[in-house]
Order: sequence, then C-alpha cells, then structure tokens
Amino acid sequence: MLRTQEYVLNFGPQHPSTHGVFQILLTLDGERIVKAEPICGYLHRGIEKLAEARTYTQVIPYTDRMDYLAAMLQNVGYVQAVEKLMGIEVPERAEYLRVISGELSRLTSHVLATGVYALDVGGFTGFLLCFREREKMMDLLEELTGSRMTLSYARIGGVADDVTEGWLDKLNKLMDEMPGYIEEYNGLITGNEIFQARTKFVGQLTPETCINYSLSGPVLRASGVNYDLRKAMPYGIYDRFDFEVPLGTNGDCFDRFYCRVLEMEQSVRIIKQAIEQIKEVDGPVMAKVPKVLKPPKGEVYHEIESSKGIIGYYIVSDGTNKPYRLHVRRPSFINLGYLDEMLRGYLIADVVAILGSIDIVLGEVDC
Amino acid sequence: MFGKGLVKGLQITWKEFWAPKLTVQYPEKQHTVPERFHGKFVLDVDKCIACGLCANACPNRVISLNKQKVGKKQYLTDYQMNIQYCLFCGLCVESCNKDALHFTKDFNMNQYFYKNIPLVLVRREAPAEPLEEPAMGGEDQPKPKLKPQAPKEEKVAKPAAPAAESEAAAGKEGQ
Amino acid sequence: MLENLFVGTADWLRSLLGGIGFLPTEIAESIVLLVKLVAVLVFILVNALWLVYMERKVAAFMQARIGPNRVGPWGLLQTTCDIGKLISKEIIIPKKADKVVFLLAPVLIFLPPLMVFAVLPLGKNMAALDLNIGVFYLLAIASLSTLFFFMGGWASNSKYSLLGAMRTVAQMVSYELPLVLSLLGVIMIVGSLNLSDIIAAQEHTWLIFTQPIAFLIFFIAAVAETNRCPFDLVEGESEIINGPYTEYGGMGFAMFFLAEYANIMVVCAMATIMFLGGWHAPFGLTFIPSWVWFFIKMYVLIFIVMQFRWTYPRIRIDQLMGFGWKVLVPLSLANIFVTGIGMYIYRAIGW
Repeated sequence: MLRTQEYVLNFGPQHPSTHGVFQILLTLDGERIVKAEPICGYLHRGIEKLAEARTYTQVIPYTDRMDYLAAMLQNVGYVQAVEKLMGIEVPERAEYLRVISGELSRLTSHVLATGVYALDVGGFTGFLLCFREREKMMDLLEELTGSRMTLSYARIGGVADDVTEGWLDKLNKLMDEMPGYIEEYNGLITGNEIFQARTKFVGQLTPETCINYSLSGPVLRASGVNYDLRKAMPYGIYDRFDFEVPLGTNGDCFDRFYCRVLEMEQSVRIIKQAIEQIKEVDGPVMAKVPKVLKPPKGEVYHEIESSKGIIGYYIVSDGTNKPYRLHVRRPSFINLGYLDEMLRGYLIADVVAILGSIDIVLGEVDC
Repeated sequence: MFGKGLVKGLQITWKEFWAPKLTVQYPEKQHTVPERFHGKFVLDVDKCIACGLCANACPNRVISLNKQKVGKKQYLTDYQMNIQYCLFCGLCVESCNKDALHFTKDFNMNQYFYKNIPLVLVRREAPAEPLEEPAMGGEDQPKPKLKPQAPKEEKVAKPAAPAAESEAAAGKEGQ
Repeated sequence: MLENLFVGTADWLRSLLGGIGFLPTEIAESIVLLVKLVAVLVFILVNALWLVYMERKVAAFMQARIGPNRVGPWGLLQTTCDIGKLISKEIIIPKKADKVVFLLAPVLIFLPPLMVFAVLPLGKNMAALDLNIGVFYLLAIASLSTLFFFMGGWASNSKYSLLGAMRTVAQMVSYELPLVLSLLGVIMIVGSLNLSDIIAAQEHTWLIFTQPIAFLIFFIAAVAETNRCPFDLVEGESEIINGPYTEYGGMGFAMFFLAEYANIMVVCAMATIMFLGGWHAPFGLTFIPSWVWFFIKMYVLIFIVMQFRWTYPRIRIDQLMGFGWKVLVPLSLANIFVTGIGMYIYRAIGW
C-alpha cells in the first residue's frame, strides 16, 4: 500500500553549514521538519574542568578558545570577573584598550556572522567581501596583540601591552571606511529581495519566548527586547560612550541578521569615541597586582555583552591560586535552547537560515 | 519596487569585478608580520638564568627545561618546547624576568615528522667545573666539552626554580 | 575568408571524399556528418573546460581575488589539471547503491547537450544538422538531462542525493512550462520551427525587442533549468551538500560538473538564437565572422548567468515553485495572448 513516511535526516556533524561540528537529527516529512533534535558536544574540550588545574592567569588563553571569533570579549569577561573577586582597580587606559579591542572583536565577529549568513542562504560573494574587511580588522588586532584570533590580550588587572605607534590612527582610518563597507553589505545582502524572501518571517521568536528561554544578544534584541548589558548595566567604562541599541520588530531571521549589521555601526561609533577619549588618558595599562594571584575565598558572577549574547563567568575561589570551579554561561549554547521548536514546520533550507541567524560558535556551544 | 535590490546587487558585483584585487601571491610575496607577532620562540641563552618561571607560567605545560648545578650556579642544559601544545598566548614571554625568551616573526613551524615538532631551543652539556668569571676574557683555554655557545650567562646566581606553587607574573608592566 | 572557415572545411572534406570516386554519396555524406558531430563534441568539451576556468575567474574577480593563476599562463591549464586529478581518483561506489544506474548516470549526462548542439546553427550555414522542427527537438532534448540527474540521485541511495534528485524533477517540471510557453511567442511571430528560419527572421530586428518579456521569462526559466543560482537548489551546497552528486567522486563528479557547464552553454546558445539574432552581426559589423558574433552573444549571456550566481542568494523550494507557477506561467501565457493580439492588429493594419 502506498503511504507517506517520515524519515530521519542526519544533518551534520560533517555538514558544510552547521558552523562547525553540530549535529541535528531532523525528522522530516518530505522537506518539512517534524522534529529536530540538536546534538552538541563534538567540540567539547572540558575548558571548565581544565581551568580548575590552571592558575587564574593561565585560564585566559582558554577563554579565547570558546568564542574564538570574538576572543577579546571572552577575555574581558573572565578578567573582569576575577578583578571583581579580588577588588582590583584597572587603570583607565587599560579600560579604554579593552573597549577598543573588545569592540573590534565584536566587529570581526559580526562581520563574519553577516558574511556567513550570506553564505548560508547561498550568496558566496557576500561571504568573501565580509572576509575582506575582517582581514583588515584582524591585521590590526594582530598588530596590537600578536595573534589574529586567539588574542589573550586582557590580563587580570589590565591588558598585556599598550598600543603601538600609529595603531590608533590606522584603526581610526578603518573605522572611517567601515560605514561604506556596511553599505556594500546592505546592497549586496540585506537589500536583496531573494534574501529577504528567504529570511523574513522565518523562525520567528516572540519577546516572551526569548525571555523565558533566557536568550540573549542579537537574538533577543531582534524580538524587540531592549536588553543590552552595555546599556542596561554598564560594566567597565561603557557608560562613557554614546551609542544606541538596535532593535528588531518581528524577531525573524532577517531581524536577527539586520540587528548585527546595525550593531556593527554602533561598534564603529563606540570605537571612534574611545579613540578620541583615549588620547587624553595616559598612564599604565596594568594595575599593580601581585605575581601570585590568590583571590579571597568566595564566589563571583560577572557577565558582559559578548557578540553572541550575554557571557557570564561564575568563579568559585577557595583561596588558592587556582579557581575551585569555573562555570561559563555561554550565550551560543543557551541561544540554541529553543532550536527544536524554532525549526518545526519549516523546510530544510530554513534549518540553515535559522541556525545561521542564531550565530553560534561551536567552540562556545561545546566549551 | 521589486527588483531594485536585485539590480543593486548586480551593480555591486560588477563594480567589484573591476576593483583591485587583494590576493597576495604567498610564497613569492608575503605580508609584513607585525612586531608583536606570536611566532616561533627564541631563547637568549646568555640571559637565561634557568629559573623556570616560563615553564610555570605556561598553561599547557609546553616548556620543559633541565638544568644542572655547576659550581654554585644553575646551568641550563636542555630547553624544549612541545610546540604542538602551545597556545601562543605569550604568558611565558611575559613571565621572563631576564627578557631572555622572545617571539620571532617566523610563523612556519611545520615539520614533516612528528618527532621533529618539539622546538629545541637549547641542548648542550654542562661543563665539568664552573667557569671562572674572568674566563670570558678571551685568552682563556677553550673547554673541550662545550658547544660553541659557551655558557657565560651565569652572572646572577639564582636559586633553583621556584616551587610549583609560585605563579608566573601576571604580566609585564605595560609601560 | 574567416567567415567560411568551417563551412569551407566541410565542403573541402566533402569534395575530397567525392574525389575518391568509389564512395556512394550517402556514405560520403554520413562521413562528413560524423566529422561534424565529433567536432561538436570536441567543441562542447573544450568549452566546458574553458567555462569552468572562466567561472572561477569571474567568481574570484567579483570577490576581490584573482582566482586560479598557477597552472599554465594565468592558470589556464587549471581545469585540465583538475580533470587529470579527478580521472586518477578511485571510483567509489556506495555499498547500497544501484550499481548500474549509478555508473550509467554520469556517462549519459553529456548526451543531451551533445544532441542539442548538433542542430544549433553556430554561424551562417553552420548547423551540423538543419532540422525543420529544430525548436521542438531542442526543447524535447534539453529537458532530458533531468532524467540523468534523477538517476544519479536515486541510485546513490542517500537521503541528500534523493532530496536533490526530487528537487531536480520538481524544478524541471515547473520551469519547463514557462520555457516552452515563452518560446511560443517567438514561433508565432516567425511562423517556423526551423532554427535557421528563426535566425533569418531576425536579420533586421532581434526578437528581444519585440518579445522582451518572453526573453526575460525564457532566461529565468533557462537559468532554473540548468540549476544555476539563484535556482541552484538541486546542488544547494549549504543545505543538501551537493544534491544528486553527493556520493559521486572522481570522474563521475567531474562529468556532472562539466555537464552543468555544457547545459549552460546550451541554454545560452538557445537564447542567442531565439532572441538575440543568432549569428547576425549588429550595427552592420559584418567584417567580423558570423560565428564569432554568435560566440560573443553566447558568452555575454553566460557571463550574466555567472554574475547571477555570484551575486544572489539561493531561493527556497516553495518560493521556487510558487515563482514558477504563479508568476512565470501566467506571465508567459499573457505574453502569448498579447503577441497574438499584436500580430492580429499588425495584420489588420496591413504592415
């Protein structure tokens, strides 16, 4: 007898558009998704456990490896948590350098997210044009920190090194060019009718769902919830900058994508202000911290706005030079929580579009 | 109007078609590598006092060094980095009090065989008896056992490596 | 002289064979035909190789890269090298694949473009075969390649391949219709199914000016037929890996890959003949041989197809079907209607 049958499609981990090694078991009815079972953990390295055997300083390079696309933000989140625990005052110049390199990291991450999203929906040129600008930013980061992706630039009590001669001018020049590039992305990707048809009203999230599932970052703001930690609870020196929090209205893939594009413009704004302000600030980039860091007994939770969402570091100290326990609230992982319900009823092509719009980094999902 | 975005896209790709290209013909031409680049390590043996701070600063236990007591001083005989585990975070370089360990701009550490991967920065034998300070003067008789890079770094006596607890410097002072 | 290069060669061969004397005319004629077909085959293969190179260069130039540049001058031999590599690869047959069909599909995939090119007039008097039902034959054969895609996808016994194969069929069925209907306007105006007649009718006015909408529909449908971006759902590498060719490696994949370019060439040649005046020279620039004009026009169209691919994102399957059935088919029907009325009015006025 003829009948239709549901079947299971193994989407990943070896799939070009799962942004790494992510697996989704899709139960399909034709091309329509009945059920999606996300399976993560293929990139699990046990960073939280590794941290327990490392001294506080030695954990910094490991935080790079979580969200390797915006490593500086991960660094800053961790070191600020430790500083909170120990009560270390960070020199002002170091705070500015953290903001500049952090926002530059956010830009690289968002530029990549924009480009990869174009690739996910099939436009290859947008992908490579975004990489072109990312390359320029990475060159700058390389000049500042010595590495391109895994920066390890922040230190407990400051940053590793001061800027080199002329670096700020180069950065300023790139930031002046950036709006032109963003316009190009908008022309090539955002404004394209096919792209809009693919992404508008796909994978919609209501503000209530976002809050209930504790989603954060552009995914949350695309649904119209105005919650950006840089504005809501300014950490570091973010209260000194004038910027806006771009919000979406529909909470669909397009809004999530476009939120990132708009956030790039805001990051450019922040960096430009920071460049102006840092010229007045002089002094060391490293606070006087003891060689052996032994935070007092206790625990601390500190969260900052990373490029993917809210990244929180929870550190339990037992008074020794190594953290007793480190837990990281990874935004990519938590943003994936609603994936199953988000995917149901959509087509295979939308799986890629929805997954891409969440902008996950598998290093962070699996940690 | 529908189709405006489509035409705009075509315009952009058409413009890009004639725009200058960014490809660098790699082996022939190379990007300039910045000053601070985290590349291959070099150890200034003359400055090194074999204190072991770098080995302790390393998050991944990449550095292993052996030393031998020659007279009163520590003599570095073996300094090896298992570079395949290196995170290139720079904590070891920062921890060095004597400014002996450095990054270079050399990023190509490829090896054909696995056994060649570890980066051997120093491997030499310790002299039988301590060198006298004036030995560096020049006209002294050469020690037959020594390799060319004669050990003359033992200017500052330093006790053995700090205990496992002691922690590397959190970072050099920036300025 | 260049104008008659190929026609002259054929005539020379014919007279040579005739000069031998003992051969009956039929056999001599069939030898000439065979030579022509081999020439077409070589022509397609060389062009497919060139198109792969050209695509990579076009893509690179649009993405601020310079593309292949190492093998041969400007990387010209890159595709040749790739083919050499692919030939030397092991042919992997999945365990549960239908072996015969699996191996047959890449072999047969070159058949449709070859058969189509046999009737295309590439220049003045330069059709290997001059069929009087050329358009009909063309349309019948051109859609045949879908079958081989489906064979490959089905026989692979892989879910991704099957999805791709199903998409091919769905796409072909829904886009063959506007393709044919858009050509109907041309045929109504010309009044003949013979390709040479259609070209001859465009001596003064190219049909793209009298049938602009038909050209647009034809071009869009043709791009969809050849599974090119933005209609490349069949391959859709970010969704279903590589569609029907997922399980193919080595030369099997290369055949599919080259066939894609051969198919692009076919549809662009068709568009040139139907709408862009075939080998007719524009602006009276007749000192350039007719077949050169044909190639220039064809390659301009191919370039546009490539630019589409490197500009646009991929459309979704339901949008693809919706676009085909809800936009293109009604539009092409309306075009036929308008063309009919226009022709009637013209005739009534007595032009």
